[in-house]
Amino acid sequence: MRIPPSVQHWIVPVTLLVAWEIGGDMAWLPRYLPPPSQILAALDEVAADGELAQAAAISLYRVTFGFAVGTGAGTLVGLAAGLMPAVRHFFDPLVSFLYAVPKIAFLPIFLLLFGLGQESKIAITAFSCFFPVFIASRHAALSVGKQLVWAARNMGAPRATILFRVFIPAAAPQLFSGARIGLANAFVVLFAAELIGARGGLGVLISEGEDAARFDLMFAGIMAFALLGFAADRILMIVRRHVLRGQVIGTVEQMVR
Amino acid sequence: MMIRVLRNVERYYSIPLLLLVWQAAVGSGLVESRLLPSLIRISSVLVTDTVNGLLPYHTAITLGRAAIGFMFAAIAGVPFAAAMARSEIIRNLFEPIFFFGYPVPKIAFFPVFTYIFGIGSPSKIAFAFLECVYPIVVTAYLGFRAIPQSLIWAGENMGAPNSTIIRRIVLPAAMPGIFTGLRIALPVAIIVIVLTEMIGDSKGLGYYIAVSGTRFQYANVYAAILVIGTCGFILDRALLLLRDKSIYWQREETAAGL
Repeated sequence: MRIPPSVQHWIVPVTLLVAWEIGGDMAWLPRYLPPPSQILAALDEVAADGELAQAAAISLYRVTFGFAVGTGAGTLVGLAAGLMPAVRHFFDPLVSFLYAVPKIAFLPIFLLLFGLGQESKIAITAFSCFFPVFIASRHAALSVGKQLVWAARNMGAPRATILFRVFIPAAAPQLFSGARIGLANAFVVLFAAELIGARGGLGVLISEGEDAARFDLMFAGIMAFALLGFAADRILMIVRRHVLRGQVIGTVEQMVR
Repeated sequence: MMIRVLRNVERYYSIPLLLLVWQAAVGSGLVESRLLPSLIRISSVLVTDTVNGLLPYHTAITLGRAAIGFMFAAIAGVPFAAAMARSEIIRNLFEPIFFFGYPVPKIAFFPVFTYIFGIGSPSKIAFAFLECVYPIVVTAYLGFRAIPQSLIWAGENMGAPNSTIIRRIVLPAAMPGIFTGLRIALPVAIIVIVLTEMIGDSKGLGYYIAVSGTRFQYANVYAAILVIGTCGFILDRALLLLRDKSIYWQREETAAGL
């Protein structure tokens, strides 16, 4: 008998979950690994009293704002760097040096610059977004086919039309890959910043659960954060699919869902 | 000769220029010197903490942890990706875990890691492993999948045994994909180790940054950032060199500084 692939896909996750549940109920697992049913109950608890919604809203606000600023700046500067050699030569050495540095290392400096409140979290999130987006946009601008631009110019299109109707659509697939990495970075850096020190947010909810030895609460926060990151990526991919209708058929990108 | 010098000036002028502006801003007292310590202060901190062994000690710990996590991820991830590419059952079983798990911010699970593996090195290494194994497996898997079937058929047609096909056709053809994954994962390893050290530890460069930050010793923060940047840059170049040596037939144009 052959198990259809769609069923096979579920075997490993379901087995793990069931084993976790049974192990937790039988108290075979240590206290810090509460079974999924308890985590769900805790999720329900914090969702009912509004604590979860409030924490998630704060985290979401920070990540959205930071992502928007970082991606916007990264795209603009990156496209400019691709189009203008002077801009490129200015940013290339800086970016290639700072790229491998964990952006969270700048947190002490950002805390001093922007204070302990929302601004420092948003700023460091935007900062960490900027780099992958810059690199992808720079590369995208450089790899737009010259023939496309020449053809448009030949047909007498004004510069603005060439930029918005030829150049940016041609660069769009790579702009989205950059934004996707930036989004992932934003969640990582925000989480670390919230865990190291913040008021409000899912990171704080998690460390509070930890401090009170309420591991079900800790896991509820972890699950909420993981889901938030996953959902944000999905939304970006849906937007991408709509914007790039017909552009990515048959490419490798299509495989990396 | 002159043109080459000029071209290098054009390419790298921004770093010295920024450093000059920095020094001028601090020197003229325009900027608060606590936020932007003068370059002389940063370099003196760099020298004293290198001589007294503080920076080398923390750097060695951070790099050691990153290297162990990265190596485990590479050793486990590449064969696993090959197995996923070759066997339909393994592919069906594990593909969802990798493709749906990929966009999940795994950092959220770090607190759990500290409980399972303890707060010292093991939890950080295990977490670096988790963060590295995703890009390595996914990229290597796509690399293995992209091998033209006709190459394998050709080998089989000429009577090559399975082991020869894997060693002489599959592995070389998948090498570029494998190296792409490793190159994505290497800075991830360093970043993740520093990050988790900042969240909680008593050694490593992340700890050094966090402690210097709370003591308002910003020169030390900048010094540590310089050290991390330099290490990351050197390691990436080393990996590129290794790549060019082992897949000499497909050399990537090293684009200007990126």
